[in-house]
Amino acid sequence: MRDQDSSMTSDATVRARARLTSDAIIVGIDVGSTTVKAVVIDPLSKEILWSDYQRHETRQAEKTLELLVAIGGEFADIPRERIRGFITGSGSGPLREPLGARFVQEVNAVTMAVDHLHPDVRAVIELGGQDAKIILYQENEQTGDKRAIASMNDKCASGTGATIDKCMIKAGMDPADAVRLPWDPSKLHHVAAKCGVFAETDIVNLVKSGIPSDEILCSLADAIVSQNLSVLARGNTLKPRVLLLGGPNTYLPFLQACWRQRIPETWQSRGFEWPKDVPIEELIFVPKDAQYYAAYGAAIYGLHEPADVGLYRGLDPLKQFIAHGRKAKLGAKAGPPLVAEDEELARFRREYSIPTFAHATFEPGQIVRGVIGLDGGSTSSKAVLLDEQGELLTKQYQLSKGNPIADTKELLAKIKAFVYDQGATLEVLGFGATGYAADVLEESVRADVNIVETVAHMMAAVKYFGDVDVICDIGGQDIKVLFMVNGEIRNFRLSNQCSAGNGMLLQAMANQFGLPVTEYADAAFKAPLSPKFSYGCAVFLDADRVNFQKEGYSKEELLAGLAMVLPKNVWQYVVQIPRLAQLGTRYVLQGGTQYNLAAVKAQVDYIKARVPDAVVRVHPHPGEAGAIGAAVETLRVVNRRGKSRFIGLDAAISLEFTSINNESTVCHFCPNHCSRTFIDTKTPEGRTSRYISGFSCEKGTVESIDALKLLEKRRKELKTHYPNLVDYEARLAFRHFYTPEPIPPDGTLIDDVDVRTTMLGRIRKTAVRRTIRRSDADAIARRKHLRIGIPRVLNIYSSGPIWRTYFEALGLHEMNIVFSDTTSEEMWAEGSRYGSIDPCYPSKVAQAHIHNLLFKKHAQKKLDFIFFPCITHMPTFVAGTQDSTSCPIVAGAPKVMRAAFTKEVDFFERAGVEYVDTAVTLQEPHYFARQMFETWGPRLGVTEDESDHAVREGLKALRLFDEEMERRGMELLEKLEAENKVGVLLLGRPYHLDPGLHHGVPDEYQALGYPILSIRSIPKDPGWLERFFKEDLDRGFVTTPLSVQDVWPENYSTNSVQKVWAAKFAARHPNVVVLDLSSFKCGHDAPTYGMIDNIINSSGTPASALHDIDANKPGGSIKIRVKTYAHTLKRFEEELSDQAAKRNELQRRVAEKRRELLGVHRARLREASLADPRARRELEELEAAFFTYSQEDTVPAGYTETDLARQDIAPPPPVHAMVFLRRAPSSEVNP
Amino acid sequence: MNDSTLDYAEIERELQAFEAEERRRLGLEEEAVDHWHDANPQSFTRDQRATTTMLHGGLTMAHDSMIAAALGGLGYTMQPLECPDVEALRLGKEFGNRGQCNPTYFTVGNLIKHLTHLRDQEGMAVPDIIKRYLFVTAGACGPCRFGTYATEYRKALVDAGFEGFRVLLFQQQGGIKQATGETVGLEINGAFAKAMVQSIMAGDCVNLAGYRIRPYEVNAGETDAALEDCKTLLRDALSRRKSLVTALLRCRRRLNQVAVNRLRPKPKVSIIGEFWAMTTEGDGNHRLQRFLEAEGAEVDIQPVTAWVLYNIWEHQYDTRRRLTLRVDDEGIVGLKGKDGTTKLALLWGTGHAVRAIFGIYTRAIGLADYHLPDMDQVATISHQYYDNHLRGGEGHMEVGKLIQTVERRKAHMVISVKPFGCMPSSGVSDGVQSLITARYPEAIFTAIETTGDGEVNVQSRIQMDLFKARKRAEAEYRTAIERSGLEASTLERKFRRKAKALHHPPHVVAGTAANQVLELAGIGEWTS
Repeated sequence: MRDQDSSMTSDATVRARARLTSDAIIVGIDVGSTTVKAVVIDPLSKEILWSDYQRHETRQAEKTLELLVAIGGEFADIPRERIRGFITGSGSGPLREPLGARFVQEVNAVTMAVDHLHPDVRAVIELGGQDAKIILYQENEQTGDKRAIASMNDKCASGTGATIDKCMIKAGMDPADAVRLPWDPSKLHHVAAKCGVFAETDIVNLVKSGIPSDEILCSLADAIVSQNLSVLARGNTLKPRVLLLGGPNTYLPFLQACWRQRIPETWQSRGFEWPKDVPIEELIFVPKDAQYYAAYGAAIYGLHEPADVGLYRGLDPLKQFIAHGRKAKLGAKAGPPLVAEDEELARFRREYSIPTFAHATFEPGQIVRGVIGLDGGSTSSKAVLLDEQGELLTKQYQLSKGNPIADTKELLAKIKAFVYDQGATLEVLGFGATGYAADVLEESVRADVNIVETVAHMMAAVKYFGDVDVICDIGGQDIKVLFMVNGEIRNFRLSNQCSAGNGMLLQAMANQFGLPVTEYADAAFKAPLSPKFSYGCAVFLDADRVNFQKEGYSKEELLAGLAMVLPKNVWQYVVQIPRLAQLGTRYVLQGGTQYNLAAVKAQVDYIKARVPDAVVRVHPHPGEAGAIGAAVETLRVVNRRGKSRFIGLDAAISLEFTSINNESTVCHFCPNHCSRTFIDTKTPEGRTSRYISGFSCEKGTVESIDALKLLEKRRKELKTHYPNLVDYEARLAFRHFYTPEPIPPDGTLIDDVDVRTTMLGRIRKTAVRRTIRRSDADAIARRKHLRIGIPRVLNIYSSGPIWRTYFEALGLHEMNIVFSDTTSEEMWAEGSRYGSIDPCYPSKVAQAHIHNLLFKKHAQKKLDFIFFPCITHMPTFVAGTQDSTSCPIVAGAPKVMRAAFTKEVDFFERAGVEYVDTAVTLQEPHYFARQMFETWGPRLGVTEDESDHAVREGLKALRLFDEEMERRGMELLEKLEAENKVGVLLLGRPYHLDPGLHHGVPDEYQALGYPILSIRSIPKDPGWLERFFKEDLDRGFVTTPLSVQDVWPENYSTNSVQKVWAAKFAARHPNVVVLDLSSFKCGHDAPTYGMIDNIINSSGTPASALHDIDANKPGGSIKIRVKTYAHTLKRFEEELSDQAAKRNELQRRVAEKRRELLGVHRARLREASLADPRARRELEELEAAFFTYSQEDTVPAGYTETDLARQDIAPPPPVHAMVFLRRAPSSEVNP
Repeated sequence: MNDSTLDYAEIERELQAFEAEERRRLGLEEEAVDHWHDANPQSFTRDQRATTTMLHGGLTMAHDSMIAAALGGLGYTMQPLECPDVEALRLGKEFGNRGQCNPTYFTVGNLIKHLTHLRDQEGMAVPDIIKRYLFVTAGACGPCRFGTYATEYRKALVDAGFEGFRVLLFQQQGGIKQATGETVGLEINGAFAKAMVQSIMAGDCVNLAGYRIRPYEVNAGETDAALEDCKTLLRDALSRRKSLVTALLRCRRRLNQVAVNRLRPKPKVSIIGEFWAMTTEGDGNHRLQRFLEAEGAEVDIQPVTAWVLYNIWEHQYDTRRRLTLRVDDEGIVGLKGKDGTTKLALLWGTGHAVRAIFGIYTRAIGLADYHLPDMDQVATISHQYYDNHLRGGEGHMEVGKLIQTVERRKAHMVISVKPFGCMPSSGVSDGVQSLITARYPEAIFTAIETTGDGEVNVQSRIQMDLFKARKRAEAEYRTAIERSGLEASTLERKFRRKAKALHHPPHVVAGTAANQVLELAGIGEWTS
């Protein structure tokens, strides 16, 4: 065994050639994503004679040539035919042929090197520039053979050098400091390591919260290590010795130390015994020359190949390839250029170049009066000064320096200087903010306005262009697209975390080529062709970029290609509406990215290709649109209010502030223990304020127990006023709310069917009456003490009452049916390291629930079974579906969990718990009963009669669950109708009831005063629903209100069809708006996206969608959506209220008119009654009606306020005089 | 009624007019909401048959062309689409919903690509395209997204500007006839079923023969040339409704003209996985089969007929399980109102008929000792890991095939290929297969997810394991030669007598070359 310091080279001081013991050499070359490495080995001694590496900066071939020239110099006397080459690495593809080198797959190469140098190593973790790999060596116990199992990251994983580099820059950590940074696990913050963009977003937020860069880097390292251990290790244990390879592992000691802490934790939790007397640095180690392992392994591989394989072709073919080869290969695959001809470009520039802004000039002594709008963006902050008429006087910009208050102070100082430098004075009439910084500024400088970015951008666009149809804002991190109707936001789309970063990507790309972003467009316009990027998130694009570089695309072409993928990202990935024409013809482009004319050209071309008559305009101040919007709103607010609450320009500029983030600021009011930041400010006059950030729930907004109590009291009131039926359902599903009927006693006669197979193989069934079969007393007594754990996940959310009641009916104690806890970040962190696959979060989180049951619930009190049924079919209320299946991932998850928890160690066996995961269908009650008996009969010692009884009781409990939810829903909907309010319907799958999955988004709306409905809580009584679906029924689209046949004939997935049906309901109910949640990678939601959009959009129902939710809570994304949607909802509710007022007025006016008409008739009858007895009778009748009518004021007899409100839903009933005269029963007149 | 009496109707009229006026004044005259409904055009009548081209695709190119020929023989104008490529994927992504699985993107995009070509390159007006073309495909009832393909097709067609284009599902055509009372254009009858069965099996035969011969051909390209001739022969027989067996016999003669050398050890790689991903031959799986052959492997593919058997097995299993229930349930698989025994007998008969016909055809083309998998056996060995009730994709078959391949030494390496986002395969099978590979550490198993891009990475991963498989094949061959005790020259001499391209040495170990040596040496058993 070689020790940790063993190296592949020896005595480097002796010249390489002198150490060669053979007449031949083998060259191993590793072309990675950032560097080229080469080694020369002696075929006899296998020693490395020579090695070097170069950063290639996308010039792989050139750098390889340089290295080969150096090798040629060192081994000048070795003839070409005695040199063999073996090449590895992701960038090696194009170089194989010119070099004559044989390709060796990277992992094979590394494995070869490790086998040779460290035969005792059992796991290798290599973090490269673009990819991460784990190689595990498994020993076949029978043969003793070692087998290497390798897993590589998919495109999403962030545990790579490139991501670490980017995050270091964002955190402001100098690489020279990073290599000395010690590991400190005491102050770790949440960083999502699932993908690079997620990680970067979290790091930006940490920076903005004032977290020191060393804590951020340690948090990143911890996140990367955890992610690799939970996903890349595929549920396997990384047993010692563990070898760490790759740049980050080699150079970052804090990352090494993190591995050395976290890996032994997995050993501990999995009961793996490791040699504790060996220092951890030897068990998990970084070898010398770690960077050369792949190149060395490739060369070693060559030793196993025949002598004629990999013969070196000399330098000439490589030189030829550099000169001509690459371009020749590109032509066929490349896309068109950004600009086809000069005239086209000239025309485009004339039309779209952004006019130079002329700052206002002032006379000395002039008093300038105006409002300031500030947009504290993710990467830069902008401020504008508008005069009282709304004219832009100046705009100022600066890159964010990490603290929003510091940025604001500097911007305000710039504005002040701008005015005062001209000898004028500035009177600030108001101050408004938007963007990341708005919340803290509202508190610290008492901003008059704190508006969400989307609304600010809308106001800026409307200010310059009036009535437009679509506003597309592309900032540094986010894409926002607003769909407008009558100057208001009707709908919007925001990039989720995955597609964030496009503006930044363009900038980063330019930087990589050493180009100022201002020169991006000129370079891109020069490209004669472009690589075809696939749209997607920034990480995917970056991976594509690396591939295209390897293929030989030039800088200009890459820049052009990236600009051209931008519109695809906007319209195909974020907006997802391929038919742009349906959105309108008037488009406004804004956001800082529009300064880049290459991006604008790509957008304009894309839009016009799809909407030929489109008018695409670029905002004259694209980067400052948010600040302008904030200023416009400030002007409106201050004018209306008559005064400003802003602390004043000088006070703001002189504001003192401190930012604290330490143990004293940690919130301990819930198990999340959020690491909060307190920003304390103090004005020159001594006014202080505190702004708190970094919390994940509202408990984090307070500091004392008393404040918490007050908060909880307010919360309780809120819950009473605005019920959250999602929350209610999530609790009710697992609670004991129904006591099952006892099993009939021994001797009770029951009806049964006798089933026999005839001689001919047919089945004969005969009705019989017989006594019930009961289990014996011992079995009954045993059941009283059995405990069964059930994970609170997936479709258990919609079937919980069945399982609880089934077991209770069989005599298990209510307390012995144990559900795992609700999902939380803490639970996921603890139990997420078993997975071998990476499906949607709702499915993979099941492992954390099994872990919770095994290691928490079972540890508290022994569980006998863990029951996680494969539910293949779910019953549905939707009528006429093709089938009622569960999602295959959801149905199969229990089997995946069995594999994960038994693969290396049988955790169930070790705990003495039996894991039961049989398949059941809830769609066929009798077959379900059979399946339950087959599963539980032997295990619980129950008879089939007993099990059948329990199944019936379980299904009854499910019905009662439905009824209770619908009752609550009915109450709520009727209240909403009566009060002209709106309720938010959560369109999601059953498990989105889990707070750990919906990330508290419904609660955000509840806090804003909107009650929350779940799909289950919508009443399903066809009679009640008919009024909403009347037109569909009348026109024959459906035969029952509970059908989705008219919108989706391929309707077999229960949870999907229910979601689609609920969307239909929301589209038809005037008081219901939609919150659409969908999990990342949800395969069954995908086909419904377009459909639900169509359903919701056709009715104009407000809707907010948050797709791709995952394990991490996308706080920023949620916040901006909630605030934007709240803006829309407020307007919508006002509109509802206005409509109701108008309807009331209509009723009043009609009633008056009726009185008037009846009065005329009364007079006429009075006249006639003197002579005509029949007319007298009619007059009496009329007088009686008049009397009654006068008692009822505006609400006509037979109607309620609710009925009136409903008149806009179905065709209004004719305002029939008979109604008032004859007092028809309400059932006859209700719509 | 005279003036002196109360004229309710007149009051009502006046009130209504007044109310209408007031509604206008108050702005309460809102436009009625036009709720969205999916048009789902399906009309295809018998009289349109002569002027309508039915586009189709989704299997291998051999299968698609056989189907076109066979249905052409029934009087339909069929046109198979080209094998989906990256451009099809791009269009699928543009016009499809986000987050779809790759088969959806590829196949939906492929249709859009073809129609766009008709419109933009051939200058056809969209109404003409809609009138003269339709797309026909198979449907499903879940549980994975395969069943929603038609939904995706419609969405993409509308968004790409082909609103009204018809997408027909085979399964629904009978229902349409009943519902409309029209003479339906696509008749799902006995002749149709026969044509489908024959074309699927003919496609299987050609493909299986090709993958057996090509790795061992002496002159590059000879097998493909022979296969092209065979396809022409088979298409001709199918379209003219002539004897398929005769055509297959002629194919056999043609294929046997290919010169082969089976004494070259090659790793045998079994491709399993999601149906579409393992079946397609283009960018959808990075041309996996040809890539493996280029890397020196022999590829063991799954015939489409096995999929047919799996479908039959599903019905048998579900029926058997419910046959003895005391009360029958409703629903698709529930037996209420159905005769379970008769259904089982019919399924048994169908299954055996499929096997028998397949046997005749494979023997005719010369695929000696080719066996379709025993579905009950596959189900039994996989049940404890992957419950037989779980469906979608290949169901338990991926797991069962993996176990069988390892236990019976059917291949040196198993690749389970799945398209990006495949729910049953990536989301379940992969998880379960990790347990299987832990139980069978000797297995060389590679699960790959194809995204349409990142071809280099996928191929690199395959190369990684193929290296091990190659070493294993070579070691196995060396051992076979040692055990045979024959000199190389003797082996070669003996081989010349068995050098027919379609000759297949009996299965003893995984490698064909080792089996060939064992056959020549008369060894029929292998002990480790």
